[in-house]
Amino acid sequence: MGLQTEFLSLTVDALPAFAADRKREGWRFVQLLAVVTDGGFDLVYSFMKDGVLENYTIQDVTKDTVVPSITDQFLAAFVFENEVHDLFGINVKGIAIDFGGTFYQLSQKEPMTIISPEQKAAREKAAKVAAAKAAKEQGAPADAAKAAPDADGLEAKLAGMDPEKAAKVRAAMEAKAKKEAAAKQAAADEKIAGLDPEKAAKVKAALAAKAAREAGAQAQAEDPAPAKAKKEGE
Amino acid sequence: MGKATVIPFGPQHPVLPEPLHLDLVVEDETVLEAIPQIGFIHRGLEKLVETRDFNQFIYVAERICGICAFGHSMGYAETVEKLMGVEVPRRAEYLRVIWHELSRIHSHVLWMGLAADAFGFESLFMHCWRLRERVLDIFEKTTGGRVIFSVVKVGGVVRDIDDAQMAEIKRMLEGIKDDYRQICDAFLKDSSVKNRTVGVGYISHEDALAQSMVGPFARASNVNYDARMLGNGGYGELSDFQPVLDSQGDCYARVKVRALEVLQSIAIIEEMMAKIPAGDIAVPVKGAPAAGAQAANVVEQPRGECYYYARGNGSKYLERMRMRTPTSQNLAGMTTALAGCDLADVNMIVLTIDPCISCTER
Amino acid sequence: MTYATKSPWVIHYDGSSCNGCDIEVLAALCPGYDVERFGIINTGNPKHADIFLVTGSVNEQNIKVVQEIYDQMVEPKVVVACGICACSAGIFHDCYNVIGGVDKAIPVDVYAPGCAVRPEAIIDAVVQALGILEEKSKALQAQKKGA
Repeated sequence: MGLQTEFLSLTVDALPAFAADRKREGWRFVQLLAVVTDGGFDLVYSFMKDGVLENYTIQDVTKDTVVPSITDQFLAAFVFENEVHDLFGINVKGIAIDFGGTFYQLSQKEPMTIISPEQKAAREKAAKVAAAKAAKEQGAPADAAKAAPDADGLEAKLAGMDPEKAAKVRAAMEAKAKKEAAAKQAAADEKIAGLDPEKAAKVKAALAAKAAREAGAQAQAEDPAPAKAKKEGE
Repeated sequence: MGKATVIPFGPQHPVLPEPLHLDLVVEDETVLEAIPQIGFIHRGLEKLVETRDFNQFIYVAERICGICAFGHSMGYAETVEKLMGVEVPRRAEYLRVIWHELSRIHSHVLWMGLAADAFGFESLFMHCWRLRERVLDIFEKTTGGRVIFSVVKVGGVVRDIDDAQMAEIKRMLEGIKDDYRQICDAFLKDSSVKNRTVGVGYISHEDALAQSMVGPFARASNVNYDARMLGNGGYGELSDFQPVLDSQGDCYARVKVRALEVLQSIAIIEEMMAKIPAGDIAVPVKGAPAAGAQAANVVEQPRGECYYYARGNGSKYLERMRMRTPTSQNLAGMTTALAGCDLADVNMIVLTIDPCISCTER
Repeated sequence: MTYATKSPWVIHYDGSSCNGCDIEVLAALCPGYDVERFGIINTGNPKHADIFLVTGSVNEQNIKVVQEIYDQMVEPKVVVACGICACSAGIFHDCYNVIGGVDKAIPVDVYAPGCAVRPEAIIDAVVQALGILEEKSKALQAQKKGA
């Protein structure tokens, strides 16, 4: 039940014979599309018969590659071949109804190949994040033993431990957290003492407001509106 | 011996809802050939995948075409779900089928009105659209929108139809069915309609296969293919689905196929509403499509089979999203049907392929 | 009320619209919302029309068509931009082939936003356009008398 799709590959030289084959065996031509890749373009030809959809990808087509048209076998392809020529600049030879580049009148030539700097930056950033995540997942088992375990890992460990020991560990953790907070506050106080009095007062007021906000946000976790209003009022 | 003149048809024409330009090479009153020129609606929205992430792009996908809006949002969501391996809850699949079949009813009745207007039967056009308003009322009650609903998301649907609304829809469909039969009679039995449609724009079965035609346009020439037969999504739960076929191959056959498909859609909706399971209407979708992953999908829209292709690149922006709509596939068939017809029949033939130029050009 | 505002004829053209606004324009003319009771008829001939209903944004290929239709209409005439794509290109504003809303091609008198624009909004926009049409008509007559 359902559509069966397959992705297979093909070469430009094999294309005319392949199209003739498909026509002879009674496959229906579905579509042709192009994708911009690092090595040029990928062309995907799709055919369907008896509920099976086969997509054939020709990889690394460049602007110099001459792609033979399949309109001699499948006339309906002329729409897609003209479109691929106009939007990507792919050189298709022998289209039955050839508009010669005026199929669409466009503001920019070969617009699908133009990638604006913002889009490039966004894609590279996303790719970097994904790569870092993948690297982290690979390196995680080795680091887990050494590095400070995160909260979930710790909870799991504590749950597994014997109750008295678990209580002791928790108490030790709380004490450590309090010490760290106190140290942070002491450092901040020292810094404020070093500032000029008016500025010090302002900074103190801001810190107090922040603490109040955080307490408020914790108490009203479900209702972000007042917290947001406070933030905006600040 | 006549001389051939070229008569431009469109882009602004009273019978065309959308801009399409044809250069008709005419000798006396007979069209020798027709050369289409499209591109008036090309916006270039496939490139918007680079600036809208895969969740936001569904709003763009819906607005490819206002008539087939739901079909595009459903097809896009199914393709991305295939790409990311997301399993949609069964109740969501049933709801999508119900809305999609209602969409098909509204589209076919809209088309029948425009076809009537094309051969000059304006009061029938008004009757069809008056009936269509009742289908739009159902849409408004369940989704809030008349034309563009924004009710599908990647992972399911956004709104539910509760039992009270389903009973209401059933009651309204009964009323629509009765009035619809009267309109059907006007189309299929009236002698003046037959004079304008029988024998006009004939395409043989072999030609339909050679031109790779799809949709009701092809089924009127006895091409046995309807993407709903493949059983994607909720369509796999239908007890028995047979496409509506006709072997006459002319404009009358195309009107008949669409008229009967409306009745078939009403039956499908009633079946789905009776069998719908309880449950969630969406699953949360986390993460992004994997780099290099590809997915392809087909959906039977009112105008024919629509093909979707998606490729991911690891970020939340898709690398490529491609929608191949049925009218682009049928343009070759239209040029064949127009060759050799009368100038007065050009309106009717162009409309019987149910052109949706905004879908074709995106 | 001048004669023009008693029964204005409209001409409708789709720029690069998705069709949603077009079918709502046609739905306004049909029995559900029925603007024909105000004497409004959809004509295909620009020379017979008083109000130009444009939907959809403007792209390289259809900017000349929109200007051509506007030029062929006879004064006084008003333009109503139906739908957000006609007002300002809507969600397609950053597409490579979209120049902008219809006001990049012709002067617009009334903007009716919405996606798709509802028939009630179209009727409201047309009524406002009728007020503007009346003013233009009076100005034209005054100009004729003055000249």
